[in-house]
Amino acid sequence: MARMRKSRGESLLLRYLVLGSWALVCLLPILWFGTIALRPRTEIVTPQPIYWPTWSLDAWHLLMSDWPIALYLRNSVLAVGGSVIIDLILAIPAAYALARYDFKGREDIGFYILSTRMMAPAIVAVPIFFLFKSVGLLDSIWALMLIYAAINLSLVTWIIRSYMLDIPKELEDAARTDGAGDLRILWEIIIPACLPGIITAAVIAAIFAINEFLFTLLIASTSGAYTMSVALANFTGGSDGVIYNAIALVSFIAFVPVLILVILIQKHLSRGLTMGAVKG
Amino acid sequence: MAKATPDRLRRRSPRMRAAFPYLLLTPALLYLLAITLYPGLFAIYQSLFVVKFLNWTWTGFGNYAAILKDREFWAALGNTAIIGGISLALQTAIALTVAYFAYRDPFIRGWRILYIMPMLFMPSAVAFIWKLAFNDGRVISDLLMSLGLIERNVDWLGNIWLARLTLITADVWQWTPFLFIIFVAGLQGQDQEIEEAARLDGASWPAIFWNISLPMLRPIIVVAVTLRGIDITTMFTNVYVMTQGSPGGATETMSYFIYRQGFRMFNFGYASAASVLMLIMTIIIAQTVVRRAFHSGKA
Repeated sequence: MARMRKSRGESLLLRYLVLGSWALVCLLPILWFGTIALRPRTEIVTPQPIYWPTWSLDAWHLLMSDWPIALYLRNSVLAVGGSVIIDLILAIPAAYALARYDFKGREDIGFYILSTRMMAPAIVAVPIFFLFKSVGLLDSIWALMLIYAAINLSLVTWIIRSYMLDIPKELEDAARTDGAGDLRILWEIIIPACLPGIITAAVIAAIFAINEFLFTLLIASTSGAYTMSVALANFTGGSDGVIYNAIALVSFIAFVPVLILVILIQKHLSRGLTMGAVKG
Repeated sequence: MAKATPDRLRRRSPRMRAAFPYLLLTPALLYLLAITLYPGLFAIYQSLFVVKFLNWTWTGFGNYAAILKDREFWAALGNTAIIGGISLALQTAIALTVAYFAYRDPFIRGWRILYIMPMLFMPSAVAFIWKLAFNDGRVISDLLMSLGLIERNVDWLGNIWLARLTLITADVWQWTPFLFIIFVAGLQGQDQEIEEAARLDGASWPAIFWNISLPMLRPIIVVAVTLRGIDITTMFTNVYVMTQGSPGGATETMSYFIYRQGFRMFNFGYASAASVLMLIMTIIIAQTVVRRAFHSGKA
Protein backbone atom coordinates (compact mmCIF):
# COMPACT_ATOMS: atom_id res chain seq x y z
CA MET A 1 0.00 0.00 0.00
CA ALA A 2 2.68 2.39 1.01
CA ARG A 3 4.78 1.44 -1.96
CA MET A 4 2.15 2.49 -4.47
CA ARG A 5 2.15 6.05 -3.31
CA LYS A 6 5.65 6.42 -2.02
CA SER A 7 6.69 8.89 -4.65
CA ARG A 8 4.36 11.39 -2.99
CA GLY A 9 5.66 10.92 0.54
CA GLU A 10 4.30 8.44 3.02
CA SER A 11 0.68 7.44 2.67
CA LEU A 12 -1.86 8.41 5.27
CA LEU A 13 -2.78 4.78 5.71
CA LEU A 14 0.75 3.88 6.76
CA ARG A 15 0.92 6.89 9.02
CA TYR A 16 -2.24 6.02 10.90
CA LEU A 17 -1.27 2.37 11.03
CA VAL A 18 1.95 3.30 12.83
CA LEU A 19 0.39 5.93 15.08
CA GLY A 20 -2.62 3.76 15.88
CA SER A 21 -0.60 0.68 16.77
CA TRP A 22 1.68 2.60 19.08
CA ALA A 23 -1.34 4.23 20.71
CA LEU A 24 -2.70 0.74 21.42
CA VAL A 25 0.63 -0.36 22.88
CA CYS A 26 0.56 2.65 25.19
CA LEU A 27 -3.09 2.48 26.16
CA LEU A 28 -4.03 -1.20 26.43
CA PRO A 29 -1.82 -1.96 29.44
CA ILE A 30 -3.14 1.16 31.18
CA LEU A 31 -6.78 0.25 30.52
CA TRP A 32 -6.19 -3.32 31.60
CA PHE A 33 -4.47 -2.09 34.77
CA GLY A 34 -7.53 0.12 35.30
CA THR A 35 -9.74 -2.95 35.30
CA ILE A 36 -7.38 -4.50 37.85
CA ALA A 37 -8.06 -1.58 40.20
CA LEU A 38 -11.79 -2.27 39.93
CA ARG A 39 -11.93 -6.01 40.49
CA PRO A 40 -11.85 -8.29 43.54
CA ARG A 41 -8.55 -9.93 44.47
CA THR A 42 -9.85 -13.35 43.58
CA GLU A 43 -9.97 -12.43 39.90
CA ILE A 44 -6.38 -11.18 39.54
CA VAL A 45 -3.94 -14.04 39.87
CA THR A 46 -5.87 -16.83 38.18
CA PRO A 47 -4.83 -19.83 36.05
CA GLN A 48 -6.64 -18.21 33.13
CA PRO A 49 -6.55 -14.39 32.87
CA ILE A 50 -9.93 -12.68 33.24
CA TYR A 51 -10.31 -9.73 30.90
CA TRP A 52 -13.85 -8.71 31.84
CA PRO A 53 -14.03 -8.88 35.63
CA THR A 54 -16.83 -8.66 38.16
CA TRP A 55 -16.53 -4.97 38.92
CA SER A 56 -15.92 -4.15 42.56
CA LEU A 57 -14.58 -1.42 44.82
CA ASP A 58 -12.68 -3.85 47.05
CA ALA A 59 -9.41 -2.03 46.53
CA TRP A 60 -10.92 1.28 47.52
CA HIS A 61 -12.38 -0.18 50.72
CA LEU A 62 -9.04 -1.83 51.52
CA LEU A 63 -7.19 1.46 51.09
CA MET A 64 -9.66 3.31 53.25
CA SER A 65 -9.71 0.76 56.04
CA ASP A 66 -6.29 -0.90 56.24
CA TRP A 67 -3.83 1.62 54.84
CA PRO A 68 -3.26 5.19 55.96
CA ILE A 69 -3.46 6.41 52.40
CA ALA A 70 -4.12 10.01 53.48
CA LEU A 71 -0.84 9.92 55.42
CA TYR A 72 1.05 8.62 52.39
CA LEU A 73 -0.41 11.34 50.23
CA ARG A 74 0.47 13.99 52.80
CA ASN A 75 4.04 12.66 53.05
CA SER A 76 4.40 12.72 49.29
CA VAL A 77 3.06 16.25 48.98
CA LEU A 78 5.22 17.61 51.83
CA ALA A 79 8.44 15.93 50.73
CA VAL A 80 7.99 16.71 47.05
CA GLY A 81 6.69 20.25 47.53
CA GLY A 82 9.43 21.09 50.04
CA SER A 83 12.12 19.74 47.76
CA VAL A 84 10.91 21.84 44.84
CA ILE A 85 10.97 24.99 46.98
CA ILE A 86 14.53 24.23 48.14
CA ASP A 87 15.53 23.68 44.52
CA LEU A 88 14.09 26.97 43.32
CA ILE A 89 15.72 28.97 46.12
CA LEU A 90 19.13 27.47 45.34
CA ALA A 91 18.80 27.21 41.56
CA ILE A 92 17.51 30.63 40.57
CA PRO A 93 20.58 32.59 41.76
CA ALA A 94 22.89 29.90 40.40
CA ALA A 95 21.17 29.90 37.03
CA TYR A 96 21.33 33.69 36.94
CA ALA A 97 25.08 33.60 37.52
CA LEU A 98 25.58 30.96 34.82
CA ALA A 99 23.36 32.76 32.31
CA ARG A 100 24.34 36.37 32.82
CA TYR A 101 27.87 36.70 34.15
CA ASP A 102 31.21 36.10 32.58
CA PHE A 103 33.56 34.67 35.14
CA LYS A 104 36.43 32.28 35.41
CA GLY A 105 35.39 28.64 35.61
CA ARG A 106 31.84 29.23 34.41
CA GLU A 107 31.91 26.34 31.94
CA ASP A 108 33.39 23.93 34.46
CA ILE A 109 31.05 24.89 37.27
CA GLY A 110 28.07 24.60 34.93
CA PHE A 111 29.19 21.18 33.80
CA TYR A 112 29.84 20.04 37.35
CA ILE A 113 26.26 20.97 38.24
CA LEU A 114 24.99 19.11 35.18
CA SER A 115 27.09 16.05 35.92
CA THR A 116 25.61 15.51 39.39
CA ARG A 117 22.47 14.41 37.51
CA MET A 118 24.42 11.49 36.08
CA MET A 119 25.32 9.90 39.36
CA ALA A 120 23.41 6.68 39.91
CA PRO A 121 21.37 6.87 43.12
CA ALA A 122 22.87 3.51 44.10
CA ILE A 123 26.38 5.02 44.16
CA VAL A 124 25.54 7.41 46.95
CA ALA A 125 22.95 5.19 48.61
CA VAL A 126 25.25 3.62 51.21
CA PRO A 127 26.98 6.86 52.30
CA ILE A 128 23.71 8.81 52.38
CA PHE A 129 22.12 6.05 54.44
CA PHE A 130 24.97 6.24 56.97
CA LEU A 131 24.89 10.04 56.99
CA PHE A 132 21.18 10.23 57.69
CA LYS A 133 21.44 7.45 60.24
CA SER A 134 24.18 9.30 62.14
CA VAL A 135 22.17 12.52 62.33
CA GLY A 136 18.95 10.70 63.17
CA LEU A 137 17.13 11.62 59.97
CA LEU A 138 16.10 8.14 58.90
CA ASP A 139 12.36 7.65 58.67
CA SER A 140 11.69 11.32 58.23
CA ILE A 141 10.05 13.40 55.58
CA TRP A 142 12.87 15.93 55.99
CA ALA A 143 15.41 13.42 54.78
CA LEU A 144 13.30 12.66 51.73
CA MET A 145 12.87 16.35 51.05
CA LEU A 146 16.64 16.96 51.18
CA ILE A 147 17.36 13.99 48.93
CA TYR A 148 14.74 14.88 46.33
CA ALA A 149 16.06 18.45 46.28
CA ALA A 150 19.59 17.17 45.74
CA ILE A 151 18.57 14.84 42.92
CA ASN A 152 16.75 17.57 41.01
CA LEU A 153 18.93 20.60 41.70
CA SER A 154 21.05 20.19 38.57
CA LEU A 155 18.01 19.77 36.36
CA VAL A 156 16.22 22.78 37.80
CA THR A 157 19.33 24.97 37.50
CA TRP A 158 19.94 24.03 33.87
CA ILE A 159 16.34 24.46 32.76
CA ILE A 160 16.05 27.89 34.35
CA ARG A 161 19.45 28.90 32.99
CA SER A 162 18.28 28.01 29.49
CA TYR A 163 15.21 30.24 29.79
CA MET A 164 17.28 33.08 31.27
CA LEU A 165 19.60 32.98 28.28
CA ASP A 166 16.59 33.80 26.08
CA ILE A 167 15.73 37.03 27.85
CA PRO A 168 16.95 39.97 25.77
CA LYS A 169 19.80 41.86 27.36
CA GLU A 170 18.18 45.21 26.54
CA LEU A 171 15.51 44.56 29.15
CA GLU A 172 18.15 44.53 31.85
CA ASP A 173 20.17 47.38 30.39
CA ALA A 174 17.12 49.62 30.50
CA ALA A 175 16.55 48.80 34.15
CA ARG A 176 20.23 49.27 34.92
CA THR A 177 20.29 52.76 33.48
CA ASP A 178 17.29 53.45 35.67
CA GLY A 179 19.54 52.65 38.61
CA ALA A 180 18.41 49.15 39.54
CA GLY A 181 20.99 46.83 41.16
CA ASP A 182 21.71 43.24 40.21
CA LEU A 183 19.49 41.58 42.77
CA ARG A 184 16.60 43.89 42.01
CA ILE A 185 16.98 43.15 38.31
CA LEU A 186 16.93 39.43 39.09
CA TRP A 187 13.83 39.78 41.25
CA GLU A 188 11.82 42.27 39.24
CA ILE A 189 12.80 41.53 35.65
CA ILE A 190 14.52 38.19 35.17
CA ILE A 191 12.31 36.03 37.37
CA PRO A 192 9.00 37.29 35.90
CA ALA A 193 10.41 37.03 32.38
CA CYS A 194 11.47 33.39 32.77
CA LEU A 195 8.46 32.28 34.81
CA PRO A 196 7.47 29.61 32.22
CA GLY A 197 10.93 28.11 32.65
CA ILE A 198 10.68 28.19 36.42
CA ILE A 199 7.27 26.50 36.33
CA THR A 200 8.52 23.88 33.84
CA ALA A 201 11.51 23.16 36.05
CA ALA A 202 9.30 22.88 39.13
CA VAL A 203 6.88 20.48 37.45
CA ILE A 204 9.58 18.22 36.09
CA ALA A 205 11.39 18.22 39.43
CA ALA A 206 8.13 17.32 41.15
CA ILE A 207 7.55 14.39 38.80
CA PHE A 208 11.06 13.03 39.29
CA ALA A 209 10.67 13.41 43.04
CA ILE A 210 7.35 11.54 43.03
CA ASN A 211 9.02 8.79 41.03
CA GLU A 212 12.11 8.45 43.21
CA PHE A 213 12.23 4.96 44.59
CA LEU A 214 15.60 3.75 45.87
CA PHE A 215 16.24 6.43 48.49
CA THR A 216 12.66 6.43 49.59
CA LEU A 217 12.96 2.71 50.12
CA LEU A 218 16.17 3.03 52.14
CA ILE A 219 15.35 6.11 54.14
CA ALA A 220 11.72 5.51 54.93
CA SER A 221 12.07 2.14 56.60
CA THR A 222 9.04 2.46 58.85
CA SER A 223 5.64 3.57 57.74
CA GLY A 224 6.04 6.99 59.38
CA ALA A 225 7.63 8.47 56.28
CA TYR A 226 6.16 6.34 53.55
CA THR A 227 5.36 8.13 50.36
CA MET A 228 3.05 6.90 47.62
CA SER A 229 5.91 5.33 45.73
CA VAL A 230 7.13 3.16 48.57
CA ALA A 231 3.65 2.50 49.88
CA LEU A 232 3.07 0.95 46.49
CA ALA A 233 6.02 -1.39 46.75
CA ASN A 234 4.84 -2.42 50.16
CA PHE A 235 1.48 -3.65 48.95
CA THR A 236 3.35 -6.85 48.47
CA GLY A 237 1.62 -7.43 51.80
CA GLY A 238 3.85 -10.20 53.21
CA SER A 239 1.87 -13.41 53.66
CA ASP A 240 -1.00 -11.92 51.65
CA GLY A 241 1.00 -11.83 48.44
CA VAL A 242 0.94 -8.86 46.12
CA ILE A 243 -2.26 -6.83 46.47
CA TYR A 244 -2.52 -5.82 42.84
CA ASN A 245 -5.88 -4.08 42.87
CA ALA A 246 -4.72 -1.73 45.63
CA ILE A 247 -1.45 -1.10 43.77
CA ALA A 248 -3.35 -0.28 40.61
CA LEU A 249 -5.71 2.06 42.42
CA VAL A 250 -2.86 3.93 44.16
CA SER A 251 -0.95 4.31 40.92
CA PHE A 252 -3.98 5.87 39.25
CA ILE A 253 -4.47 8.22 42.21
CA ALA A 254 -0.88 9.41 41.71
CA PHE A 255 -1.20 9.46 37.91
CA VAL A 256 -4.03 11.99 37.67
CA PRO A 257 -2.30 15.04 39.21
CA VAL A 258 0.88 14.29 37.28
CA LEU A 259 -1.06 14.13 34.01
CA ILE A 260 -2.70 17.48 34.74
CA LEU A 261 0.65 19.11 35.54
CA VAL A 262 2.18 17.77 32.35
CA ILE A 263 -0.69 18.95 30.17
CA LEU A 264 -0.22 22.41 31.69
CA ILE A 265 3.44 22.59 30.64
CA GLN A 266 3.04 20.58 27.44
CA LYS A 267 4.74 23.11 25.19
CA HIS A 268 7.81 23.24 27.42
CA LEU A 269 8.16 19.52 28.01
CA SER A 270 10.88 18.71 25.48
CA ARG A 271 12.97 21.64 26.63
CA GLY A 272 12.55 20.67 30.24
CA LEU A 273 13.35 17.00 29.72
CA THR A 274 16.61 17.86 27.93
CA MET A 275 17.55 20.38 30.63
CA GLY A 276 17.23 23.18 28.12
CA ALA A 277 19.37 21.65 25.39
CA VAL A 278 16.49 21.21 22.93
CA LYS A 279 14.15 24.12 22.40
CA GLY A 280 10.72 22.81 21.50
CA MET B 1 15.94 37.73 48.27
CA ALA B 2 15.90 41.44 47.48
CA LYS B 3 17.31 42.35 50.87
CA ALA B 4 20.50 44.09 49.75
CA THR B 5 19.64 47.55 48.65
CA PRO B 6 20.27 47.92 44.96
CA ASP B 7 22.23 51.14 45.27
CA ARG B 8 24.86 49.69 47.54
CA LEU B 9 25.32 46.71 45.28
CA ARG B 10 25.73 48.74 42.18
CA ARG B 11 28.46 50.84 43.69
CA ARG B 12 30.45 47.96 45.07
CA SER B 13 34.14 47.75 44.39
CA PRO B 14 35.33 45.91 41.26
CA ARG B 15 36.53 43.04 43.44
CA MET B 16 33.08 42.70 44.94
CA ARG B 17 31.57 42.72 41.48
CA ALA B 18 33.90 39.96 40.36
CA ALA B 19 32.91 37.87 43.36
CA PHE B 20 29.20 38.39 42.83
CA PRO B 21 28.48 35.47 40.43
CA TYR B 22 30.39 33.13 42.75
CA LEU B 23 28.24 34.31 45.64
CA LEU B 24 25.13 33.53 43.64
CA LEU B 25 26.45 30.04 42.93
CA THR B 26 27.73 29.22 46.41
CA PRO B 27 24.53 27.89 48.03
CA ALA B 28 23.74 25.55 45.14
CA LEU B 29 27.35 24.37 44.87
CA LEU B 30 27.63 23.70 48.60
CA TYR B 31 24.46 21.64 48.46
CA LEU B 32 25.66 19.62 45.48
CA LEU B 33 29.11 19.10 46.96
CA ALA B 34 27.46 17.84 50.13
CA ILE B 35 25.64 15.13 48.22
CA THR B 36 28.43 14.22 45.80
CA LEU B 37 31.78 14.95 47.40
CA TYR B 38 30.86 13.82 50.90
CA PRO B 39 29.32 10.51 49.81
CA GLY B 40 32.20 10.00 47.38
CA LEU B 41 34.82 10.44 50.09
CA PHE B 42 32.79 8.39 52.55
CA ALA B 43 32.45 5.57 50.04
CA ILE B 44 36.20 5.60 49.32
CA TYR B 45 36.95 5.50 53.05
CA GLN B 46 34.39 2.80 53.83
CA SER B 47 35.53 0.72 50.87
CA LEU B 48 38.84 0.16 52.65
CA PHE B 49 37.15 -1.69 55.51
CA VAL B 50 35.25 -4.88 56.05
CA VAL B 51 32.10 -3.62 57.73
CA LYS B 52 30.05 -5.93 59.90
CA PHE B 53 27.40 -3.85 61.58
CA LEU B 54 29.30 -1.46 63.87
CA ASN B 55 32.56 -3.32 63.39
CA TRP B 56 34.95 -1.82 60.86
CA THR B 57 38.08 -3.86 60.12
CA TRP B 58 40.80 -2.37 57.95
CA THR B 59 41.38 -4.34 54.77
CA GLY B 60 43.11 -1.85 52.49
CA PHE B 61 42.33 -2.70 48.92
CA GLY B 62 40.95 -6.09 49.91
CA ASN B 63 37.40 -5.27 48.84
CA TYR B 64 38.59 -4.08 45.45
CA ALA B 65 40.72 -7.18 44.92
CA ALA B 66 37.71 -9.34 45.81
CA ILE B 67 35.32 -7.40 43.58
CA LEU B 68 37.56 -7.56 40.55
CA LYS B 69 37.55 -11.34 40.97
CA ASP B 70 33.82 -11.45 41.73
CA ARG B 71 31.88 -13.03 38.87
CA GLU B 72 28.66 -11.45 40.10
CA PHE B 73 30.14 -7.97 39.77
CA TRP B 74 31.21 -8.52 36.17
CA ALA B 75 27.88 -10.16 35.44
CA ALA B 76 26.05 -7.12 36.83
CA LEU B 77 28.18 -4.84 34.67
CA GLY B 78 27.48 -6.98 31.62
CA ASN B 79 23.76 -7.23 32.37
CA THR B 80 23.50 -3.46 32.74
CA ALA B 81 25.17 -3.03 29.36
CA ILE B 82 23.09 -5.73 27.63
CA ILE B 83 19.69 -4.84 29.08
CA GLY B 84 20.36 -1.11 28.84
CA GLY B 85 21.84 -1.30 25.35
CA ILE B 86 19.01 -3.33 23.81
CA SER B 87 16.41 -1.27 25.59
CA LEU B 88 17.97 2.02 24.49
CA ALA B 89 18.30 0.88 20.88
CA LEU B 90 14.67 -0.27 20.78
CA GLN B 91 13.20 2.85 22.31
CA THR B 92 15.29 5.10 20.08
CA ALA B 93 14.12 3.27 16.96
CA ILE B 94 10.47 3.26 18.01
CA ALA B 95 10.50 6.88 19.15
CA LEU B 96 12.12 8.01 15.90
CA THR B 97 9.65 6.13 13.74
CA VAL B 98 6.58 7.24 15.65
CA ALA B 99 7.84 10.83 15.91
CA TYR B 100 8.50 10.95 12.18
CA PHE B 101 4.93 9.87 11.39
CA ALA B 102 3.38 12.05 14.10
CA TYR B 103 5.05 15.43 13.92
CA ARG B 104 3.16 16.77 10.90
CA ASP B 105 -0.12 15.17 11.85
CA PRO B 106 -2.98 17.61 12.57
CA PHE B 107 -3.76 15.71 15.78
CA ILE B 108 -0.20 15.83 17.13
CA ARG B 109 -1.25 17.37 20.46
CA GLY B 110 -3.67 14.51 21.06
CA TRP B 111 -1.15 11.86 20.07
CA ARG B 112 1.44 13.43 22.32
CA ILE B 113 -0.77 13.29 25.40
CA LEU B 114 -1.71 9.70 24.58
CA TYR B 115 1.86 8.59 24.02
CA ILE B 116 3.23 10.31 27.09
CA MET B 117 0.95 8.49 29.52
CA PRO B 118 3.18 5.48 30.27
CA MET B 119 5.90 7.88 31.42
CA LEU B 120 3.59 9.49 33.94
CA PHE B 121 2.99 6.37 36.01
CA MET B 122 5.34 5.86 38.91
CA PRO B 123 8.15 3.51 37.84
CA SER B 124 7.26 1.15 40.66
CA ALA B 125 3.67 0.99 39.39
CA VAL B 126 4.89 0.24 35.88
CA ALA B 127 7.08 -2.53 37.23
CA PHE B 128 4.02 -4.04 38.90
CA ILE B 129 1.95 -3.70 35.71
CA TRP B 130 4.47 -5.80 33.81
CA LYS B 131 5.14 -8.20 36.66
CA LEU B 132 1.43 -8.97 36.63
CA ALA B 133 1.19 -9.12 32.84
CA PHE B 134 4.16 -11.46 32.43
CA ASN B 135 4.41 -13.55 35.54
CA ASP B 136 1.59 -13.44 38.05
CA GLY B 137 -1.37 -12.86 35.72
CA ARG B 138 -0.07 -14.85 32.72
CA VAL B 139 -1.67 -12.32 30.42
CA ILE B 140 1.16 -12.12 27.89
CA SER B 141 1.34 -15.91 27.63
CA ASP B 142 -2.43 -16.08 27.19
CA LEU B 143 -2.41 -13.47 24.43
CA LEU B 144 0.47 -15.18 22.64
CA MET B 145 -1.34 -18.51 22.91
CA SER B 146 -4.53 -17.12 21.46
CA LEU B 147 -2.48 -15.81 18.55
CA GLY B 148 -1.12 -19.31 18.13
CA LEU B 149 2.47 -18.21 18.66
CA ILE B 150 3.15 -20.44 21.63
CA GLU B 151 1.52 -23.57 22.99
CA ARG B 152 2.06 -23.51 26.72
CA ASN B 153 2.42 -20.96 29.50
CA VAL B 154 5.87 -19.42 29.46
CA ASP B 155 7.87 -19.19 32.67
CA TRP B 156 9.37 -15.77 32.03
CA LEU B 157 11.77 -16.04 34.95
CA GLY B 158 12.94 -19.50 33.91
CA ASN B 159 15.15 -18.34 31.09
CA ILE B 160 17.91 -15.73 31.04
CA TRP B 161 16.78 -13.99 27.87
CA LEU B 162 13.07 -14.13 28.66
CA ALA B 163 13.69 -12.57 32.07
CA ARG B 164 15.75 -9.84 30.44
CA LEU B 165 13.00 -9.38 27.88
CA THR B 166 10.49 -8.60 30.62
CA LEU B 167 12.74 -5.85 32.00
CA ILE B 168 13.37 -4.48 28.52
CA THR B 169 9.64 -4.43 27.75
CA ALA B 170 8.85 -2.48 30.91
CA ASP B 171 11.62 0.04 30.23
CA VAL B 172 10.75 0.50 26.56
CA TRP B 173 7.05 0.90 27.34
CA GLN B 174 7.62 3.50 30.01
CA TRP B 175 10.45 5.55 28.50
CA THR B 176 9.97 5.59 24.73
CA PRO B 177 7.74 8.66 25.35
CA PHE B 178 10.73 10.56 26.76
CA LEU B 179 12.57 10.24 23.46
CA PHE B 180 9.38 10.70 21.42
CA ILE B 181 8.59 14.09 22.99
CA ILE B 182 12.10 15.36 22.30
CA PHE B 183 12.27 13.99 18.74
CA VAL B 184 8.90 15.52 17.82
CA ALA B 185 10.06 18.89 19.12
CA GLY B 186 13.25 18.53 17.12
CA LEU B 187 11.43 17.57 13.92
CA GLN B 188 8.96 20.41 14.32
CA GLY B 189 11.81 22.84 14.74
CA GLN B 190 13.46 21.77 11.50
CA ASP B 191 13.38 23.72 8.30
CA GLN B 192 10.48 22.05 6.49
CA GLU B 193 11.39 23.42 3.08
CA ILE B 194 14.25 21.06 2.41
CA GLU B 195 12.03 18.03 3.04
CA GLU B 196 9.25 19.54 0.98
CA ALA B 197 11.60 20.13 -1.93
CA ALA B 198 12.84 16.54 -1.76
CA ARG B 199 9.25 15.31 -1.69
CA LEU B 200 8.40 17.36 -4.79
CA ASP B 201 11.43 15.87 -6.49
CA GLY B 202 9.81 12.48 -5.94
CA ALA B 203 12.01 11.13 -3.14
CA SER B 204 10.42 8.29 -1.14
CA TRP B 205 9.70 8.81 2.52
CA PRO B 206 12.35 6.38 3.76
CA ALA B 207 14.89 8.24 1.65
CA ILE B 208 13.75 11.58 3.01
CA PHE B 209 13.79 10.27 6.56
CA TRP B 210 17.20 8.66 6.20
CA ASN B 211 18.99 11.33 4.18
CA ILE B 212 17.40 14.56 5.36
CA SER B 213 15.44 14.37 8.62
CA LEU B 214 17.82 12.08 10.47
CA PRO B 215 21.05 14.01 9.78
CA MET B 216 19.38 17.29 10.67
CA LEU B 217 18.06 15.79 13.89
CA ARG B 218 21.42 14.34 14.87
CA PRO B 219 22.48 16.81 17.58
CA ILE B 220 19.10 16.44 19.28
CA ILE B 221 19.22 12.66 19.04
CA VAL B 222 22.65 12.69 20.65
CA VAL B 223 21.48 14.77 23.62
CA ALA B 224 18.26 12.78 24.12
CA VAL B 225 19.88 9.36 23.82
CA THR B 226 22.71 10.40 26.12
CA LEU B 227 20.30 11.52 28.83
CA ARG B 228 18.21 8.37 28.47
CA GLY B 229 21.32 6.21 28.36
CA ILE B 230 22.52 7.65 31.66
CA ASP B 231 19.20 6.87 33.30
CA ILE B 232 19.14 3.34 31.93
CA THR B 233 22.51 2.53 33.47
CA THR B 234 21.00 3.27 36.87
CA MET B 235 18.12 0.79 36.39
CA PHE B 236 16.94 -0.43 39.77
CA THR B 237 13.19 -0.28 40.36
CA ASN B 238 12.18 -2.77 37.68
CA VAL B 239 14.76 -5.28 38.84
CA TYR B 240 13.71 -4.86 42.46
CA VAL B 241 10.02 -5.41 41.72
CA MET B 242 10.06 -7.79 38.77
CA THR B 243 12.98 -10.19 38.89
CA GLN B 244 15.17 -9.53 41.96
CA GLY B 245 18.05 -10.50 39.70
CA SER B 246 16.79 -13.99 38.83
CA PRO B 247 17.32 -16.36 37.14
CA GLY B 248 20.75 -16.91 38.61
CA GLY B 249 21.70 -13.23 38.59
CA ALA B 250 21.08 -12.84 34.85
CA THR B 251 19.03 -9.70 35.39
CA GLU B 252 21.03 -8.15 38.20
CA THR B 253 22.09 -4.62 37.26
CA MET B 254 24.91 -2.59 38.83
CA SER B 255 22.49 -0.62 40.99
CA TYR B 256 20.81 -3.79 42.20
CA PHE B 257 24.21 -5.39 42.88
CA ILE B 258 25.21 -2.48 45.12
CA TYR B 259 21.81 -2.54 46.84
CA ARG B 260 21.98 -6.28 47.44
CA GLN B 261 25.54 -6.22 48.76
CA GLY B 262 24.77 -3.26 51.03
CA PHE B 263 21.23 -3.64 52.19
CA ARG B 264 20.51 -7.35 51.86
CA MET B 265 23.87 -8.87 52.75
CA PHE B 266 25.12 -5.92 54.85
CA ASN B 267 28.56 -5.99 53.22
CA PHE B 268 28.74 -2.21 53.36
CA GLY B 269 32.47 -2.01 52.68
CA TYR B 270 32.07 -4.22 49.64
CA ALA B 271 29.07 -2.23 48.41
CA SER B 272 31.06 0.98 48.84
CA ALA B 273 33.94 -0.40 46.80
CA ALA B 274 31.48 -1.26 44.02
CA SER B 275 30.02 2.26 44.33
CA VAL B 276 33.49 3.79 43.93
CA LEU B 277 34.14 1.72 40.80
CA MET B 278 30.77 2.73 39.36
CA LEU B 279 31.48 6.36 40.25
CA ILE B 280 34.79 6.23 38.36
CA MET B 281 32.98 4.85 35.31
CA THR B 282 30.34 7.57 35.60
CA ILE B 283 32.96 10.33 35.73
CA ILE B 284 34.73 8.96 32.67
CA ILE B 285 31.48 8.77 30.71
CA ALA B 286 30.39 12.22 31.89
CA GLN B 287 33.68 13.82 30.91
CA THR B 288 33.73 12.29 27.44
CA VAL B 289 30.32 11.41 26.01
CA VAL B 290 28.06 13.77 27.91
CA ARG B 291 30.23 16.83 27.70
CA ARG B 292 30.50 16.42 23.94
CA ALA B 293 26.77 15.68 23.59
CA PHE B 294 25.78 18.86 25.36
CA HIS B 295 28.18 20.93 23.31
CA SER B 296 26.90 19.56 20.03
CA GLY B 297 23.34 20.06 21.26
CA LYS B 298 23.97 23.77 21.53
CA ALA B 299 25.36 24.06 18.03
